[in-house]
Amino acid sequence: MELDFLATVLLSSLSSASILLIATLGLAVVYGLMGVINLAHGEFIMVGAYSALTATQIGLPFLLAIPFAVVTTMIIGAVVELLIIRKLYGRLFDTMLATWGLGMVFNQVAILLFGTVSPGIGMPQWSFKVGDYSLAVYPILMIFVAAVMLAFIYLLMTHTVYGMKARASIQQPQMAQAIGIDSSRVNTMTFAIGSGLAGLAGAILLPIIPATPSMGLFFAVKGFLTVVVAGPVTLTGSALAALGLGGGASVTASFMTSVVGDVFFFLVTAILLWLYPMGISAKWRRKL
Amino acid sequence: MFKIKNATGGYGKTTIIRDVSIHVNAAEIVALLGRNGVGKSTLMRYATGLIKATSGSVEIAGETAPPSPAKRARLGLGYVPQGRFVFPRMSVTENIAVAAASNGFEAKKTVAAILEDFPLLQPKANDLAGGLSGGQQQVLALARALATRPKILLLDEPTEGVQPSIIDEMAGVLKRINEEHKIAILVAEQNLDFCLSISERAYVMEKGTISIETDRDSLRADKELQQELLGV
Amino acid sequence: MFEKLHKNAGLIFPALATIIALALSGTLNPYLAFVATSWVIFGLLGLSLDVIWGRGGLLSLAQTAFYGLGGYFGAVIAINLAPSSGMTLIWALPSAAVFGALIAVALGYVIFYSRMGELQSTILSYTFTLLLWSVTQTFKLDVGEARIGGDNGLSNIPGIILGFGSEAKKLGPNEAFATVVVVTAAVYFFTRWLMRSNFGKIVDCIRIDIEKTELLGYDIRKYQLLNFAYSGAVAGLSGALFALWANYLNPSIFSVQEALLVPIYVLVGGLGTLAGPFLGALIIGGLSFWLGGGAAGGQTTLILGTTLILLVMFLHNGFLGALDTLWKKFLADPNDAARSAGAVKIDTEVLDSILEEAAAQAGPAKNLSTDEAFKRFGGVIPVNKVSLDFASGRPYSLIGPNGAGKSSFLKTCVGIYRPEGGKILLDKDDITKTAIFERVHKGMGVKNQKPQVFGENTVMENLWIAAFARTRDTVQADKTATRILGMLGMEEQKSVQASALSHGQQQWLDIGMVLCLAPRVVLLDEPAAGMTNEETRELSLLVRTLAKHTTVVVVEHDMEFVRTLEGHVTVLHQGEFFAEGDIETLRANDAVLDIYLGRGEHV
Repeated sequence: MELDFLATVLLSSLSSASILLIATLGLAVVYGLMGVINLAHGEFIMVGAYSALTATQIGLPFLLAIPFAVVTTMIIGAVVELLIIRKLYGRLFDTMLATWGLGMVFNQVAILLFGTVSPGIGMPQWSFKVGDYSLAVYPILMIFVAAVMLAFIYLLMTHTVYGMKARASIQQPQMAQAIGIDSSRVNTMTFAIGSGLAGLAGAILLPIIPATPSMGLFFAVKGFLTVVVAGPVTLTGSALAALGLGGGASVTASFMTSVVGDVFFFLVTAILLWLYPMGISAKWRRKL
Repeated sequence: MFKIKNATGGYGKTTIIRDVSIHVNAAEIVALLGRNGVGKSTLMRYATGLIKATSGSVEIAGETAPPSPAKRARLGLGYVPQGRFVFPRMSVTENIAVAAASNGFEAKKTVAAILEDFPLLQPKANDLAGGLSGGQQQVLALARALATRPKILLLDEPTEGVQPSIIDEMAGVLKRINEEHKIAILVAEQNLDFCLSISERAYVMEKGTISIETDRDSLRADKELQQELLGV
Repeated sequence: MFEKLHKNAGLIFPALATIIALALSGTLNPYLAFVATSWVIFGLLGLSLDVIWGRGGLLSLAQTAFYGLGGYFGAVIAINLAPSSGMTLIWALPSAAVFGALIAVALGYVIFYSRMGELQSTILSYTFTLLLWSVTQTFKLDVGEARIGGDNGLSNIPGIILGFGSEAKKLGPNEAFATVVVVTAAVYFFTRWLMRSNFGKIVDCIRIDIEKTELLGYDIRKYQLLNFAYSGAVAGLSGALFALWANYLNPSIFSVQEALLVPIYVLVGGLGTLAGPFLGALIIGGLSFWLGGGAAGGQTTLILGTTLILLVMFLHNGFLGALDTLWKKFLADPNDAARSAGAVKIDTEVLDSILEEAAAQAGPAKNLSTDEAFKRFGGVIPVNKVSLDFASGRPYSLIGPNGAGKSSFLKTCVGIYRPEGGKILLDKDDITKTAIFERVHKGMGVKNQKPQVFGENTVMENLWIAAFARTRDTVQADKTATRILGMLGMEEQKSVQASALSHGQQQWLDIGMVLCLAPRVVLLDEPAAGMTNEETRELSLLVRTLAKHTTVVVVEHDMEFVRTLEGHVTVLHQGEFFAEGDIETLRANDAVLDIYLGRGEHV
């Protein structure tokens, strides 16, 4: 086995893990700061992708289509929180079922509006060479994007008043209210940010993963497992879990088949849950 | 200044406090005494709005308190719960800062001022609150409540599980903030000595109602009441 | 009349539905009969989830895994045996059920014995299904005549054949529908019987309060596992029916959408109702059928999604749950009797006779002792090398200021906390590492600080389940429970739900449950908390009488109560033994007064 092949595998696996992480972060924020498992997360990614696609079709450059997608999904997220999630606080399994229903609705609306297939937007055609192998730039760029998103969320949660309020609200809900935090407003904001992050993922991954109504499902399932494996220290936990599970699955897939990669992902998830019934970060002493 | 009028409430169907009325005057320290399970903590939580009132009302600084705990906090109600409940995965600084910012105060300045007041917390400023000892957490919970600049401070069993040296320090701090900032204090306690050392007036609770209202001197003199109270 | 109908609704209405379905089966449009067969099968799959979720308390997303595996397994058997023997059902169904149960046991063992959290258990079961989904995509295997072809699926599955021999013909859609209805009805009525049997009652208790159920001496994990196995068996069986109905299986049976559809059937119909999932499958299947037929231009998913959201938000217990609530409004409220409760009056003669009888059955009182018991939580040491001995004769009280470690000491004796050092002995028997329920078998009876009663169950059911834990005999348990009920003066309230009782009454009911166990050592954590003065007096009498027959240890704050017990008193302080003696000696002890008063200089 040659060195350039190994480097290629390593880079593309890191890129796969980053793509998984990008798709997962919104879910991690909502679960980590609200305790809500949003099964419609994949559909929010899809909404982001279609928003960006529509924006480019009406002539907006791709770089402007991304913020457009983020704003759209944030608004939808805030409305969903106000109308549905808010009524179901503290009922974990009920929120899961309600958001699943929401996912079905989004999915069907997307089919109605856009049909089941839609044109992709061309990936920027740059590539570079590692030894004998040629790699596309855009997917590798996702490693950088994931790192920037992680840093952004970390700063948002530790260096803003909103971030502190959100963390206080999930850690001691009653005390947070007793010191004057309006938890319901904080939660609306958190859910909007989580949805916005999903929208960002959908938009930024659009050149790699074309928009289809059912595109979110695959990511939502894996993201959802990543977040639960991560446990209470959501951000670091998710980054590590995405790297281990997503990266590991990708490495496995490149040596064997993509099915074996998936099997690796699910099997390791099952083993980790068995070893760490409360998530891998249950005993960590970290902020996020 | 602070009044609880005809409070009746509890958890679910169970009524724990019945028709309780108490008041705390401006800049006064009042003790709420009684054995375990008589409803002291429930009364405190009733006052903060954390449990739903069956009937009765709360008045803070002359205004009728709205049901939302957050709004009560902004009206000037500070609360230090039994068991502390600091935000465990936030640093000491963040615990104080979030309380200040949620009430519209400048976080940085408040944190600096409060750390000045509580030298014990200074070396721990960047540590996670969950890693502090019980006594340190108790001080932090007090500091957090003060960061909301309350007019009335409710303290629920502040000496529970706290080592004696910190208890003494705490008594000193409470007296000082009471004098300097004119903050009224209502403290629920089982530790009689601690109460006698800081408060001038006391209510005694029994089975969900106020049985006696008394002052420091008569409480000190009345050995029988003391025994009765502590069940010794 | 209406009361009786309400009580037997789960029997009468499903029976009616079965009869109607069978009556219609002959005249139904064949295509509708074909489609309706699948609704019945989905209902059966929903039933398997209701058993483990509605009754057992675990939302399992592995039901489609058991269903699919059962389907494949049953299909392989049917394919190989049908050509020679005809009859497909008697081979395929039992083997699929057994296979489903085995898989459920393997998965359940991991979930229950590693004491996984609720969400994690659900996720693990989901992961299991997803794992199968990806594995089966490429899984190729030939078993005799059956060719499992990865994502090409398994085809040529024979239909439902009832006749024997190679000449036997596959049933038409209408006969197949009738056959599936009969099989399903049999499973439903058996499940209903099982869930109302003693096994079902214990499973219900585990869902309501798992800790209390173990404190009554039930091996909870065994029951959870058995219940999961049964649920797996039902799912496997319905999978085999599905395979025979569809004549074809492929890995999409393990897909995410399938896995999540099952909870919807249950929720729409009514969680925990057993009949609900069938109604749910019928409503959703029917809705898709009519809508798919053009009524709403094929917007099935849209309508289903919206329905799901609205159901979760506004109809928490599904259709049957809502119907039940409505119906109950027209019936007399059995909880009315809760308000007319009289005062508890302990009759020492009755109590003595109960306790003597218990001693005759369960043996003499046992001594409880600890030897240097040590427990730590991080930097806190709530139990620091405590060595104490307790025997029968007079009650023992443990007192001490808040945080002295009294409750922790008790929890260590019970087994809720596992000590890091030292020993706990019951007579000469070292029980330091024994499971909680086994300690209860050996004669330990425990009442925790908060009253622990099964709120959804009636007063009588609460006492009965406790008595049954010891006697393992329905008649004996009835007798014991009735006697204790009488002693508590709660005959009028026997049909009241425990959750409707006042705090003090719940305390008494909890104590009554402990008495039903006829324990040889009784541990009571603050039994007088929340009781009135009169009740406290009665409790004191009860504890003193109890101590004549068994070993009694009471943790208490109420010194007045401790004084009336006239027993031996041990003072704990900061996790350690501090002083002991009778209450008068301790009252004279300055050091003891000081730790209570919290005067700094002595600490």
